[in-house]
Formats: sequence, structure tokens, C-alpha cells
Amino acid sequence: MTTLSRRSVLRGAGGLATAGTLALPHIANAAATTASVWFTQGFIPSEDTALRKMVADYEKQSGNKIDLSIVPYAPLRQKEVSAVTSGVVPDVMEDADFSFTPLNAWEDRLLDVSDVIETQKSQFSEIVLVGRRLFNKVTKQRSYYGVPMKVASVTFHIWKSLVEKAGYKVSDIPNTWDAYIDFFLPMQAKLRAKGMRHLYAMGLEVSTLGVDPLNTFYSYMIAYGGKGLVTPDGQLHTGDPQVKEAVIKTLTRFSKLYKGGHVPPGCVNWNDADNNNSFHAKQIINDFNGSMSIELAVIDNKEEYADNITHGLPNGNDGKPLPAQIGEFGAVIPKGAKNVALGKEFLKYAIQPTVLNEYLKGGLGRWAIPYPSVIKSDPFWLHSGDPHRLAYITETMVGPGIPLYEAYSPAAAQVDAEHVFQVAFSDIINNGMTPEAAANKAFKRAEVIFAQYPLPQS
Amino acid sequence: MSTTAISAAPCNAASALATSGQRLRRAARRRRLLANVGTALLSFVLLVWTIAPIFNIVMVSLEGHDDVFGGRIWPADPSLDGYWLVLSEGYWYLEYFWHQYGNSVCLGVAVTALTLLIGSLTSFSIGRMRIRHGWVVTNAALLTYVIPATFLAIPFYRLAQAYGMMNNLWSVIAALVAFATPYAIFIFQNYGASIPMELDESARIDGASPWQIYTKIYLPLMTPALVAVGTYALLLAWNDYLYQFLLLSSKQSMTVPVALAQFLNSDEAPWNYMMATAVIYSLPPIATYYMFRTKMTGGLTMGGVKG
Amino acid sequence: MEAVQVFDGGRPAVGHLVRLRALRGALRGSEYAWALAFLVPYIAVFFAFVIYPVSYGLWMGSKPSLYATLMNDPTYWTSIVNTALYLGIAVNLKMVCALLLSGFFMRPGWWIKALLMIYVLPWAIPSMPAFISIHWFFNGDYGFLNDLLYDLFGINGPAWLDSRWLALGTMITSYIWKWMPFWTVILLAGRMAIPSEIHEAAKIDGATGVRGFIHITFPMLANLYFVCTLLSTIFTVGDFNTAYFVTGGGPAFSTYVLATLGIRDAFDLSQPRLGVAAVITALPVVIPLVYLLMRKLKTAQVQL
Repeated sequence: MTTLSRRSVLRGAGGLATAGTLALPHIANAAATTASVWFTQGFIPSEDTALRKMVADYEKQSGNKIDLSIVPYAPLRQKEVSAVTSGVVPDVMEDADFSFTPLNAWEDRLLDVSDVIETQKSQFSEIVLVGRRLFNKVTKQRSYYGVPMKVASVTFHIWKSLVEKAGYKVSDIPNTWDAYIDFFLPMQAKLRAKGMRHLYAMGLEVSTLGVDPLNTFYSYMIAYGGKGLVTPDGQLHTGDPQVKEAVIKTLTRFSKLYKGGHVPPGCVNWNDADNNNSFHAKQIINDFNGSMSIELAVIDNKEEYADNITHGLPNGNDGKPLPAQIGEFGAVIPKGAKNVALGKEFLKYAIQPTVLNEYLKGGLGRWAIPYPSVIKSDPFWLHSGDPHRLAYITETMVGPGIPLYEAYSPAAAQVDAEHVFQVAFSDIINNGMTPEAAANKAFKRAEVIFAQYPLPQS
Repeated sequence: MSTTAISAAPCNAASALATSGQRLRRAARRRRLLANVGTALLSFVLLVWTIAPIFNIVMVSLEGHDDVFGGRIWPADPSLDGYWLVLSEGYWYLEYFWHQYGNSVCLGVAVTALTLLIGSLTSFSIGRMRIRHGWVVTNAALLTYVIPATFLAIPFYRLAQAYGMMNNLWSVIAALVAFATPYAIFIFQNYGASIPMELDESARIDGASPWQIYTKIYLPLMTPALVAVGTYALLLAWNDYLYQFLLLSSKQSMTVPVALAQFLNSDEAPWNYMMATAVIYSLPPIATYYMFRTKMTGGLTMGGVKG
Repeated sequence: MEAVQVFDGGRPAVGHLVRLRALRGALRGSEYAWALAFLVPYIAVFFAFVIYPVSYGLWMGSKPSLYATLMNDPTYWTSIVNTALYLGIAVNLKMVCALLLSGFFMRPGWWIKALLMIYVLPWAIPSMPAFISIHWFFNGDYGFLNDLLYDLFGINGPAWLDSRWLALGTMITSYIWKWMPFWTVILLAGRMAIPSEIHEAAKIDGATGVRGFIHITFPMLANLYFVCTLLSTIFTVGDFNTAYFVTGGGPAFSTYVLATLGIRDAFDLSQPRLGVAAVITALPVVIPLVYLLMRKLKTAQVQL
């Protein structure tokens, strides 16, 4: 039996602790010559392969090393927020969602990347550049805090077979907003009469989960003339009568669609995947969903792929084309990154038109390239014969567009995260408010939020 | 008359006894029947309650991609394709399935072993050896729970960096052990309170060292609690997702729950593969629990020391 | 010291012995060193991995303006109500059922043991797929439950997730489904600690069934039950998986709990300090529970 004395135990423990502390700096400073890069996992394997190839090409060309982490999308936001908050950051990260970059640029947690943008400034589309020109509350100025690499917008998706089964023709689909929506409503009764018990005319994302409800609400609001909700100077215009009318009209339209039984009742609580599930199960004829994920998911099934129609935004009720909201993802360099120069070098390489084009083509064009000239010159984008891509890219890069409101003010990012207008819809349906009252309540909340992000009036 | 009366009396008494005995037996049988019916009913309810969502999971895992929301209560065309795909790493999200599975196993074993060891040592020292001011340690341990673990992720992230433990499984092990051990200590304390101190006393008198008392008396008697807490620690590590995800960066070093999270990547996940993965992944802890379940019945008998 | 009989004239003699020992101040010399050595591993873990994160976490929530922002958020008040209901109903209902079922699983018979194995399954299945599947299960339009109700009974089940109270009920049910097995196992272990002699003696005295439970079993389990309930409540404050995957916090944030709100604020709004502040506002409930736990653990006496 060994005799342990109190002193010997304490000495031992103390010794361990000291040894540990002394060993730390050594380990932490090990890798100073590689840049660590986080990119989101793609939605299809070829996206990841294309990314890896791009990184490998860079390494070969430059002789530098890149430590690439391909991170799953869903938890990426948590990882990035943890990183920027704790100061333990990679050198380059792809932003996890539309709100991340505006909010963190505001908080001065990202580095200015204007020099990277400069190298391709003439190539970028104007909307895309505006989308990354974000306000920093510390410098009190706007500058470029993200390098845009991928562009997306939201289109309608239609099952041709269901339209035809209901006795209608796809060529008859009208091209003005309200007529377009109304076109699908009577199909529900006809298809139900044919035994499709669970069928609804359309999916309407009105829940408080994910980005789809935001896209849905804003596209209707813009169609009804409410584009000026937030102006490029970042000011909120809830007092503008045109905006007010548009919001009330949108909410009224939604509640009529819902109460009329034209949309699945579960849509009040749909999460990101639910509308897609519904669409795939052919429970809805028409769905409004961002990017080409719906089509690409069935790309291997030729029949389904052909049956699926991608339809861009119809024109407004006045016949004039509506601007689509253009969302973008790209890379940011967080403050505290250890290899800023190397990170910037890598980004400058990555956004070269040929390199970026190859990378995005590897992803089967799920994301559009932010260079109008490439869109025109490379037949892959508009002239590949694929009708889905044609419709999608036309809406994203060719037709009229506006950036997301997040770009104008980070307050819009918070309004979106709080799903203020979707709460308004719920107020109408569940709490019996009138659309006017619900809209006013939503406006009040938006005003409170905007007050938390004071931007100088220009 | 009196003779018949007298001779009849014991017979009456005997038959009275006999009938009352019969009645008692019948009553006992009825009680048993009721108990059995009650047990059967409760068993059925429990079975349905437990299995219903699991049935849904299994059903989804057996279906083809497009049938998941078809509105049927049994798959039209059940197939084990999903399972085969997972086991053969045939889908790109599951590329490193076995590697990640191995990491899960390492993580699970390490966390379980350390939690049980540290937890039982601490609870032995405080609860059995009754070290002075031991309550300070238990009270301090409670501080761990003041803020829920999810919200401690960011400070932990910083800490791992400071210790140079980033992208290292040990950082996750440390975090999970730190969260599981206080719980283990409390359960052991509580459970150990029903083991009489004489057992320790008499062993001391017999000249046993604390270590021997710990290993020969304390641990064997604590087995049911060890199994329960051990399974808890195993499942905590087995299903943890946030810490592994935050502290580890490469696909090879991640674990299966992170692989599962990939399915939330897209709007279009192949749910059948995800559910197949979930089912396969749930089996080892169940199997482990099954292996140890006999240890759960280790009870205490008075007047003696076991082993 | 002679071996003391546990039952000494019906009055437990052990507690007496223990108290004497504690009063005398227990260990000397090398025994003290052993006891200390046994404590060192946890103390090391505590100092290395608990003190910093918890202090940092508390610091993160220490800006007063955070709480003003929180109170202004209408979702915050909904979350408080929901969390209170969740903690009050879900935790206690689950613990009561766990307690009763732990008794059930003590019965002999191979089918009981087999049932226990199946019963433990929800615990083993990872939260995320389990709750996602439950989310589908309860879907009003294409969920399994409503399909079953229609096919078996011809009734159109309600939209379980589309109104606040139904969704909250669904959430609570899912929570109980997932965690009840765990606490049943813990309480079962606790029951195993009760020596069979006591049950024998009780049976002879006629205290079986309900009477036996109330007068014999429960008092012995009471401490464990109480500790478990307190711990479970503290754990549940941080539970956001259930709300997030089963109801999505919807419809329209009406089933949000503090943990879900905290996660949303921390990560969706990139404001981690606000997120931590949200769960810190649960401290006025957590601290008394922690205090009660401390009291319980300090005075844990032998129950015999």
C-alpha cells in the first residue's frame, strides 16, 4: 500500500497544470503557412468535387497550401457565429445565409475586401455588387465586406402532368401576377374530383421558418407595388402609402388563399423542407422555391425532370416585368484571420471568370455566376437546351432585379430572422386580426428593429 | 338432537373453513387475473406508444425516395436498399460512414469510461469516505448546469483553441465529460446512500485500503447505478452533435450525428437514407444496454458483503 | 466495532453511526490523502473545463441592455409562458410516469424484460431524426397518424401542428416519448437498491400493491425522485431540439421556448450575447432548483 501524502498529490496536480500551460503556445502556432478555408457542402456531389478541384488547381498554380473544410450547411451558421464571436476564425469562410454577412459587417467582425472585388469589378453585375456593399457601424461607411460568388433567385415550379390532368394547357398560363395565381385555383376541384384526396392548387410558404416564406411574401409585395419598403439608403418606409397598400394587399391575398382552402393548411408551419416534400409528393401543383434545388433533386429521373416546369416571375398586373429579388452567397474574411494576404490571394484566384465558371458549372448551375458577360458567352447558361436552367438564369441574371433588403440595411436581416410579416399572417389566421391591424403591428415591430440599426440618412 | 348438533358442529366449522378458503382462493385468483389483464393492457399500450414513431422511422427507411409522403401506412414497395447503401457507404453524405462510426465509438467509450471513473471516484470520496468539505465539490459541480450546454458552445470553442485542442476528439471528450460527470456524481451519491456504511467500516477494520474498498465493495454494489449512468454517458456522447461539429473540422474526424445533419443540407433530402442511418446508428447503444442489463439486477442483501 | 444490525428494534441504527462519524471528523493521515486523490480528477476537469466556459457564459449575458431588447421582443413573453408550461407539465408528467413504470418493470417475466428493451429504444435513437420523423408523423395532411385514423376509424384527424395549443401538446408528448425511458431506467436502478428483504417484510405485514408503494417504496425513492426531477428541470431549460424539429417553434413562434429563442438570437441574428441572455433569464427558476439540489445532496442520509 503506497502512502500518498496530501502534499505529494497536490504537487503532482500542480505540476501537470503547469506543464500543460507551458506546452500551449507551441501547439497553437504550428500552422502559419497554410490558409484555412471553410466552404459549404454542396447540394449535389459534383459541387463538392468542383470545389475541391478549384482548390487543388490553386495550390498547384500558386504553390500555397489551402486547408479546405467542407462543412454541412445546416449547422454552418452556428459554427461561423461561434468563430467570429470567439475570435477563433478561419482565413476565409463562405457565408452561411443571406443574413450573416450584413449583420456581421455591421458589427465590424469582417474585413474589408474591396481590393479583391477590384480585380473583377467590371465583370460583376451591378445588383450583385450592391448586395455586398454593406454598412459598418464602426467606420460608419459602406464598403465591400463579402466577395460574391454565387447568385440565386426564386422561381415557380409547376407539375405539367397535373395541369394537364386537370384539363388545362401549360401554354394557357397567363403572364400577369394575379391572373397567374388564379389560374391554378380551379384545378384543385377538378383533380379532387378525380380522386386526388390531398391535392391543393398551390403551396404557399407562410410559416416562420426558413427563407422561403420571406421570398414568398416579398415577391407578392413587390408585385403589388411595395418595392420601396426599404430603400437603398437603408431607410424603412412603412409610412409610404403605396408600401402600406401593397403589404395589406399581400396579407389579404394570403388569407383568402388560405381560408379558401387552396393551400395545404399545414403551410402555416412548414419548415424548409416541407414545401419541397409536398411538391414532390404531388400534393401541390405550383410551388415557389428558391434556386433549382427542386429540379436538380430529380435530375436523374428524366420523366420527372421533364414534367417539372420552372417558371420565372410573371409580369406585374400592369403588364410590366417585375424585378426579382437576387440573393447571393460568397466568401468573407473574418477579423482576426491569421493569413489575410493568402486568403485574399485565393479569393482573387477563385473569382476569375474562367475559374469561377468551371466551379459553378460543376454544380450543374444550381447557382448562377455573377458575371453577365459569362452568362452571355458560355452556352451552358442560356443555350444548353435545358428549359429549367434557361428560365432560372434568365430571371436571376438577365431580367430586372433588386438586391435583398438585407443589403440595404442589416435591420432588414433581423426583420427577416424574426419573420415579422409571417407573424402578421398568423395574426390574421389564428388571432382574428384584420389585415390592416396585422400590417400595422408588423410595421411597428419593423420600426423598433430598424431603430436598433441607425443608418445615416443620405 | 344434541349429539347430532355436537357432531355436526365440527363438520360445519370445517366446511365453513373450506368455503372461506375457497372464497379466498377465488378472490386471489381474480386479483391475479385482474393483475395479469392489467399488465397485458399496459404492455400493449406501452408497446404502441413506443413503437409508433419508430414504426414511422423504419417505414421511411424502407421506402423509395419518392414514396415518403405518399400517405400510406405501409410502404408500397419496401426495400432494404437504404440500409445497404448506408453500410456500403454508397451515398455521398455517407462516404465516411464507417470512419465516422469509428469516431463515434471512440467518443462513446472514452466519455463513458471517464464519466464513470471520475464520477464514482468523486462520489466515493465525498459520500463514502466523507471527506471534509466534500459538499463544496458537489455544489461547485452544479454550477456546470447553470447555463445549458448549447449556449456554452462558444466559450468552449475558445477554450479548445487556447488549449491547442482544436480539431481533436479530446476536446469533445473533455466537454462531454465535464457535462456528464456532475450528473453521475449526484446519482451515485443518491444511490450510494442506500448502501450501509458498515460494509466500509468492517472492511477498514479488516485492513483494506480505500482503493480496495472502492474496487471490491463500492463498485460491485453500485452496479445498477453504474449501468444506468454509463448508458446515459454513452448516449450523450453517441448523440452529441453540436460540440463535435463545432470543435472538429474535417469530415473524417466527424461522427455520425454530424453526417445525419448533412441531410438537412438541402431542401431535398433522401429521407429514406437518413432514417436508415439513424436506425443503424441506434442499434449499438441498445445492444450495449442489452449486454449489461443483467448487471442491473444486482441488488443488496442485508447482513453480508457481496464478492 | 462490532457489526451492527441494520434493523435494531425497528429504528435504523445506521444513520446514527454515520452521524457520529461525521461529527468526529472522519479521516486521518493516508486515508485523507486517498480521499483527496480521488477528488483530484474531477477537480481538474472542473477547473480546466467548467470554470472558464461558465464564467464566460455568465459574462456574455451580463450587459443590461440585452435584457431590455429581450423584453421588447414579443416572442420572448410567449417563450416564457411556453417554457413554464413545458417545465411544469412535461417534466413532472414524465417523472411521474417514469416512477410508476419503473415499478412495472420490476415485475418478473421474460416478456417484461423484452418490453423494457423495446421501451428504451426512444432514448437510443438520435434526437434529430426521431423528432423529424415525429414532425412528419403529426403532419395534418400527410402524416402517419392522420392516415391511420382515417384508415382505421374514418375520422379526419386535426392538424396537430398548426395551432398553438395542439402543437404545444404534441411537443410535450414527443418530449415525454423521448426522455421517459431514460428516467425510468434511473428510477429502476434506484428501486433495485431497495433490499428485497424490505419488500418481503412488507408483504408479511400486508403492505403490498398501492399501500406498499406509498408507505415503503416511495419514501425510499423520494430522495432520488426529487433529485431527478430537479435535474431534469434544469436540463429541460436548455432543450431546444424538441421544439425546433417537432413544431419548428411554430406556428408563428407560438411554441417557442427560451432555448429556441436563445438559439435564434444567437445564431440567426448573429447576436450570441442576446441568446445567452435569453436562457439566463431562466436563472431565477434554475437557481432555487440548484439550491434545493444542494440541500438535498448535503443531507442525503441513509434511508433504511
